[in-house]
Amino acid sequence: MDIGIADLCVRHAGSADALADVKLFIPAGQICAVLGASGAGKSTLLRAVAGLVTPSVGRILYDGSPSSRTQRRRIGLIPQDFALSGRASVARNIMAVADIGIARSFAGLYPSAVRARAAHLLASLGLEESHLARRADSLSGGQQQRVAIARALLHRPALILADEPVASLDPATGEAVLTLLCDEARSLGATLLCSLHQPDLAHRFADRIIQLDGGRVVFDGPPATLGGSRVPPRIRAVAQ
Amino acid sequence: MNAAASWRFPAFLNARAVALLAAALLLLWYTGQRVEIGRMLALSGEAVLAQAGLADRSQVADGLGSTLAELVPIQLSSRREVSRIEGFDPDRLPPFAHIETAATRVSELNPETLRREERIVRTAWLVEPFGYVFHVAAKMLETLEIALWGSVIAVLIGLPLALLGARNVTPHPALRAGSRAASGFLRAVPELIAALFLVIAFGFGPIAGVLALGLHSAGFLGKFYADDIEDADPRPQQTLAAMGAGRLTIWGSAILPQVLPQHIACTLYTFDRNVRMGAVIGLVGAGGIGQELKGRFDLYEYGHVGTILIAIFLVILTLDLVASRARQAWR
Repeated sequence: MDIGIADLCVRHAGSADALADVKLFIPAGQICAVLGASGAGKSTLLRAVAGLVTPSVGRILYDGSPSSRTQRRRIGLIPQDFALSGRASVARNIMAVADIGIARSFAGLYPSAVRARAAHLLASLGLEESHLARRADSLSGGQQQRVAIARALLHRPALILADEPVASLDPATGEAVLTLLCDEARSLGATLLCSLHQPDLAHRFADRIIQLDGGRVVFDGPPATLGGSRVPPRIRAVAQ
Repeated sequence: MNAAASWRFPAFLNARAVALLAAALLLLWYTGQRVEIGRMLALSGEAVLAQAGLADRSQVADGLGSTLAELVPIQLSSRREVSRIEGFDPDRLPPFAHIETAATRVSELNPETLRREERIVRTAWLVEPFGYVFHVAAKMLETLEIALWGSVIAVLIGLPLALLGARNVTPHPALRAGSRAASGFLRAVPELIAALFLVIAFGFGPIAGVLALGLHSAGFLGKFYADDIEDADPRPQQTLAAMGAGRLTIWGSAILPQVLPQHIACTLYTFDRNVRMGAVIGLVGAGGIGQELKGRFDLYEYGHVGTILIAIFLVILTLDLVASRARQAWR
């Protein structure tokens, strides 16, 4: 799914613009890393693309069309705070996006293809069958993050929005998870928009880096061209 | 460093909070005058002083004391005239029961001699030492059954009302307004009044009781469930909505698991309340222990009333313990 962002401005009441004058076109299948210091607007950009934040000005098009339920069904979202239903089991959290109807969902009658897909994702993310029945809030932060990733990938999305998907993971696991995310995106032909705090990971995994500072895009290009005087001091500090 | 040192930290009790507190106190003072809080405190104080021997007498202490004194001893046994028991078999008495015979001197007019004559009439009574306790237990069971079914009806009506009445689940704001209004209307009709009308429609007995309790508490559950649903953490809901999940899926996967403990607590409280109100609506003939209570009260049989009140207290206490365990299990 390609994303067109035109003159996007997001303003929160009583504070400065969270995003200002953002213009981007992200073609289908591109792996895009969003870098920036805390408060630069990375999460707001991802939330705006996910439809969770209403733009004050501007609009976002998905494959050239405005957001609709059909388009949203093609999105996989990994929020920064995981946003799992804490009291529900891991299985129920993941299967929530399976679109199998509430009666079958309550009875646990998941189609075998969906079961296989969920099991494959969880196993790839280092989780085990014994985790399925556990309550999401009984898992560690890193495990919850991996469940959120599995939930976002289950329905084979055309657009994956990952808000700091490796923030709660140790470097080795983080790299493995990012590899999985990129592999899945490539095999699905999906666009991946991923905010990161680790510039080295962005350099290694992304086709394109978008840097934000104070809600504005200050760099947009391939990883090889990032650096030098084009990068503001705050961003350089993060990069170092 | 210097700039940070001059930061102002907000106080918990700011001018707005103090003004609100003052307004609340003023309201309490004004309404307290209207509901005679001052007189209530004076009379209660007088009663306490009278009990402590520091005052001569107290109207409240005398009134309460005489009423409470009549409730004891509580009635445990039952005594029924054998001739009025259908199919009575003296060889097959109930457990612990025995027969007592009482001789009564009766003065009757002899139609042949037209003179009053005295004769001895012997009456046999079946005495069961705990007969009244069993009778009250059976009536209490009926009240529990009425309360149970009232609660089932409340859940069956309250849950759809809540799904329509919760802002984050309802398909349309107009449906939310309609559902909230319906819940409000059901709550606004007290059980006792509903039972009065339903007794006229369905006749004396448990049907009126079940419906009166069910409809009223459906209004409560419709509101409480909807408030819980609206207060649920929005983040899992927003995430599923961003991925195109439907309203029912969001409710089932992101809301229900969160609010289930509150729903269970509300439902258990509704059942507890229905048991207590079941005793009240029995007063207008809607079945259960209340009907027995009203009958005994009207006959001035305060010992029986004492037994009934203790039975209601014990049941409420037991329900509270069970509900507490259930809430812990679902935490």
